[in-house]
Amino acid sequence: MNICGWIFMTLSWGVILLVFVFCLIKTLRQKP
Amino acid sequence: MVLAVAGSAIGLGNFLRFPVQAAKNGGGAFMVPYFVAILLLGLPLMWIEWTIGRFGGGFEHSTAPGVFHTLWNKNRFIKYFGVIGIFGPIVILIFYTYVESWLLGYSFFALTGRYDACTTEQTMKAFLDAYKGVVQNEYFGNIAPAYVFFVITFALNMSVVYMGINRGIEKVCKLGLPILFILALVLVVKVLSLGTPDPAKPENSVVEGLGFLWNPQWHRLAEAKVWLAAAGQVFFTLSCGIGVILTYASYLTKKDDVALSGLTAAATNEMAEVVLGGSLIIPAAVAFFGSAAVMEIADKGAFNLGFVTMPLILQKMAGGRFFGFLWFLLLFIAGVTSSISLAQPAVAFAEDEFNVSRKSACVLLGIFVFILCQPVIFLVDKGVLDELDFWGGTVCLVIFATVEAVLFAWVFGMDKAWTEMHVGSDITIPSVYRFVIKYITPTFLVIILLTWLYQDWASVIFMNDVREEHPAKAPYIYWTRIALLLVFGVLAGLVWVAWRKRRTNKVGE
Repeated sequence: MNICGWIFMTLSWGVILLVFVFCLIKTLRQKP
Repeated sequence: MVLAVAGSAIGLGNFLRFPVQAAKNGGGAFMVPYFVAILLLGLPLMWIEWTIGRFGGGFEHSTAPGVFHTLWNKNRFIKYFGVIGIFGPIVILIFYTYVESWLLGYSFFALTGRYDACTTEQTMKAFLDAYKGVVQNEYFGNIAPAYVFFVITFALNMSVVYMGINRGIEKVCKLGLPILFILALVLVVKVLSLGTPDPAKPENSVVEGLGFLWNPQWHRLAEAKVWLAAAGQVFFTLSCGIGVILTYASYLTKKDDVALSGLTAAATNEMAEVVLGGSLIIPAAVAFFGSAAVMEIADKGAFNLGFVTMPLILQKMAGGRFFGFLWFLLLFIAGVTSSISLAQPAVAFAEDEFNVSRKSACVLLGIFVFILCQPVIFLVDKGVLDELDFWGGTVCLVIFATVEAVLFAWVFGMDKAWTEMHVGSDITIPSVYRFVIKYITPTFLVIILLTWLYQDWASVIFMNDVREEHPAKAPYIYWTRIALLLVFGVLAGLVWVAWRKRRTNKVGE
């Protein structure tokens, strides 16, 4: 895997993880 | 409800279709269009479907015919476009249940070592063909084992739907999704720890497998087919344009958040698809067979990758039986959480428009779907399954999504739509999406539809390819299409009856 591949993969995983965690926290904080 | 939608979205598409599409379209060349399609097509459609579903639910409509009618009540015909939102899920449910039952069967075979003797692609393929009843050989003499697993799977799915949304579907998703994530994580760790299985071939490694998927190939961005494949995958994976999300969202109230729910469901799906699904088959297959072979394997389709290549790879690992079992169990759970959602629109339609009890609606739908599953099972080598997949799982999705996007942004009106999206919302959708939802998403959808019509309509409608390559399949495909038209006609007739009944009741009052 070349350097662009590593950057692309790390960025994509990072963004998806961040959005996922953000949504999870926001959803769990909602009142039932 | 978010879990139910995420469960619906996370299915075989995440772990089988995504790697196949990525590999077929050049790995790294595919990922850029894929992310663009998520942002311009997937997310907007998620928000649209959640919002119109909740809006229609406020008028006691849980399915697309009623929801479309509330959005454009001056138009008498729009409700018939909504029929696609019940027809599509039924068609997918018919073939999906059968494929799902193979996964249950294979998880059992993996654990008991039934296919241990199959060590080559040819023998593993022979095992699959005999299981499907296409041939008889030393592995299976008839279709009975496949039929038994089908009946178990079908009964399991229908009993979950029978128990209702709160006690059935939500509970299964609440339990199933965490199990699915844990199983996928265990398999990903196992695959990533493979390193270079054959030191004599250092180019065949897990890292090269990841490189195959992630090394960008900018020069291929000009290829229209890669963009179309990426857009198709986004549709399929997010369960947008089927009518399922719309039905689930109709049970929400104005206090419930649709903007965050849509984003959460999409993010959960992307976690499963890109982070987990993308780190399984492709890196493992490149590590064992090399990247050139992976493109050839992908050309043979998702079933080949899931039922032939992956068991072969897992057999080569230490603890192969156990990991084979985990792989098929993972896919089976993903299948269950998706298929139970596919039954919901039809059940909700019977409940809303004909006041049929949920249990009676489930029994009726169960009998109907069970009968329609029979041709799929017994004519699997005649192209019936592929035909259902094409019309139910591809064409219907694009048409339905185009109609709902245009209805939402142009008929309902973008100002009203934007306000409705933010009612009860904890997050604010970036205002650039006002422009995207109004102009980009419908244009993107119309381009997909027109490109397909331009490239393929004649050969598909007149079955030119089938007649040339598999002439024996032509009559079966012809009758499948007639059956599909009949099912659509019956559903459209039921919509007509339901609206007539409503009108009569209004006049009576």
